[in-house]
Amino acid sequence: MADPRDEPSGADQGVVTTQPTTEATPPPVVPERGAPPPPTGVLGLLVREQSIIVPLVAVVAALLIGALLIRAQGVNPTYAYQTLFTYSFLTADGLQGTFEKMVPLILCGLAVVIPLRVGLFNIGAQGQLMAGAIAAAATAHAVREAPGVIIAVVAMVAGILFGAMWGSIAGALKATRGVHEVISTIMLNSIAAGLIDYLVNGPFKDPSSPYPASYSAPDASRFVPLGVVPIGLPIALVLAVLVAWMLRRTTLGFQFETIGRNRHAASYAGIKLSGMIVLAMAIAGGLAGLAGSVEYLEIDPYRYQDGIAGSLGFDGITIALLARSNPLGTIPAALLVGALRAGSSNLSFNTGLQPEIVDMLLAITLLLVSLPIIAKLIFRRHTAKSSALASSWGS
Amino acid sequence: MRSHVKLSAVVAAGLVAALAGCGGSTGPSTGSGGGGTNSAASGDCSSAEVFCVGLVTDVGKVDDKGFNQAAWEGVEQVKGELGAQTKFVETTDPKDYAKNIKQFTDAKYDVIVTVGFLMGDATRAAGKQYPNTKFIGFDQFQADPVVPNVTGLIFHEDQAGYAAGYLAGLMTKSNKIGVVLGQEIPPTQAYAAGYENGAKAANPSVTVSKVYHPASNTAFNDPVWGAGEAKKMLAQGADFIFGAGGNTGNGALQEAAKTAGAGDKIFCIGVDLDQWDTLPAAHPCLITSAEKHEKDGIGELLKAIKGNTIKPGNFFGTAGISPFHDFDSKVPADVKTKVADIVKKLADGSQATGYKAG
Repeated sequence: MADPRDEPSGADQGVVTTQPTTEATPPPVVPERGAPPPPTGVLGLLVREQSIIVPLVAVVAALLIGALLIRAQGVNPTYAYQTLFTYSFLTADGLQGTFEKMVPLILCGLAVVIPLRVGLFNIGAQGQLMAGAIAAAATAHAVREAPGVIIAVVAMVAGILFGAMWGSIAGALKATRGVHEVISTIMLNSIAAGLIDYLVNGPFKDPSSPYPASYSAPDASRFVPLGVVPIGLPIALVLAVLVAWMLRRTTLGFQFETIGRNRHAASYAGIKLSGMIVLAMAIAGGLAGLAGSVEYLEIDPYRYQDGIAGSLGFDGITIALLARSNPLGTIPAALLVGALRAGSSNLSFNTGLQPEIVDMLLAITLLLVSLPIIAKLIFRRHTAKSSALASSWGS
Repeated sequence: MRSHVKLSAVVAAGLVAALAGCGGSTGPSTGSGGGGTNSAASGDCSSAEVFCVGLVTDVGKVDDKGFNQAAWEGVEQVKGELGAQTKFVETTDPKDYAKNIKQFTDAKYDVIVTVGFLMGDATRAAGKQYPNTKFIGFDQFQADPVVPNVTGLIFHEDQAGYAAGYLAGLMTKSNKIGVVLGQEIPPTQAYAAGYENGAKAANPSVTVSKVYHPASNTAFNDPVWGAGEAKKMLAQGADFIFGAGGNTGNGALQEAAKTAGAGDKIFCIGVDLDQWDTLPAAHPCLITSAEKHEKDGIGELLKAIKGNTIKPGNFFGTAGISPFHDFDSKVPADVKTKVADIVKKLADGSQATGYKAG
């Protein structure tokens, strides 16, 4: 008789005893209706830091997918990655190459990050960089008799100003006529390319060159690396920190962020939208223009010719997305991309892999970063609401 | 969740299968280029017995159907004869020329071939820096003062153009022929001048219409423009179209190939290498190509280096016209004899083309 009664009462007892323990954990702050409680512990940490975790996971996943691709070409992926990164980080030539490639990547990354914070998508870093580079080439030639330092400074200032002007065209169109910046910056890229084509074939052409190219940077003004560190690198790093500080600690940064979050509220709070938009695009253009002038002063062949700009401006978008529009994040993102790019020719020399494998790795990484898949898989319902990319506003 | 896993597994499997397919088809070519997989078997380039030849492409691939491919095939052609160990690196960023050359100098290669005039400065700089390495600059004119270990392989484009123009002059029925060129730079000027003078030498009553692409970074990659210009010339009665300007010229050739009467009344002439092999779309009209014998030039220079008879400065490779292929029966025997005669005279210098460089 006692047995059948004991069992249910024991079960009851169990339920009763467990209940206090669950209630003993601190009750969550009253959540929004239907929203899950914010997780704690390791998951909580991951969720809070997901702007770092997601790109990291994306890079690892891309390297794994890349390993399959490398395997498929009959090369041992471990050997390939070892060759690539050993060269990029542990040899003097490779490290210098990595650093050299980082400089324009950081600057162009910043040129995309700042407008993203204001809610604008700057596709025009390419054109702004080209504008800066040609302005640097023109002014450096104009003051070629001056001491090297002065030539370099003049060229960089000209690059910044011309890049800023180029960027602010898109900003002004947006502010006054409501032209979507994605459209106008893409078009301005083509206009810059066409204009520069004309210039390097006409007024700025170096007659001693058999093909269209600007005059080369005077020897005295060329940046000589300090050991393996190109002069542009400290400039780019300082600017990344400055931009981060500007966005976090200054009124200007606050105004940018406020517009990015809600432009109506910002406008209501008395922030002058049109001026801020032009300013943000001008700063972005200035950074990209500086990237162009540093390339001109720092990288062989020290002149503006076709192909010099490569796809650096568009790589800036890659960097900004990898960095999740955090200005300091552009540094590790540029380090990764720079290392991959710098190591690609050595990789192809030692393994026979096509150098484009590196671009595939980057493309896969970018795809994984931009798609919400990874965040959804790891964080489920705790995924951060919007990516910066989706916040661009039209009018 | 499980269905997701299944789906992604299927996708992944498909991906791997597709990649395996790709790897299979490109395997041999990468294998011949890269040495990573057979580095154990390959010799040490720093030793005197091992003759190592490296090639750096201009921005482009060794299978670009253009000068990069011609240069690499030239290297591979004499590889066996010279007992050479060969490898290439493809350039993806024009700012990497010097770095890519350095891959080979670091590995103590004996000869480095650099492709394209854009790499001229980087090649000369590397030549000064590594005096014990021989450099062949493909399409790189060496101005004074020459670097003692750098030889530029260049061609008389005007001779190839002259031979092609001579053929067109003999065969044209309408006495109107045309040439569509890339940007106006010395090589295209040479082609155009040779073509015009050759045609007039064969047939004084011929008129030659020529057009250069306006200066632009797409000057050699604007097939639509090339096709449009060819169309205009054809409409004005031209029956020979010479396309000399990379993809821009290819556009002109393809337009001629699509025109009614292509191969009977309308003919076209390719450029640089035998385009019969590289541009099948032009087969209906492609009677020949004004060809620079790039492969042979590379081979000759490599042999000269091996035999220690190489000279610095400029080396002129031979130029002429390609075989007629399917048009062999359409070219009259007397025309063939006359053209062959001219090609011979051009080669031995007894026939001038009337083109003055510079």
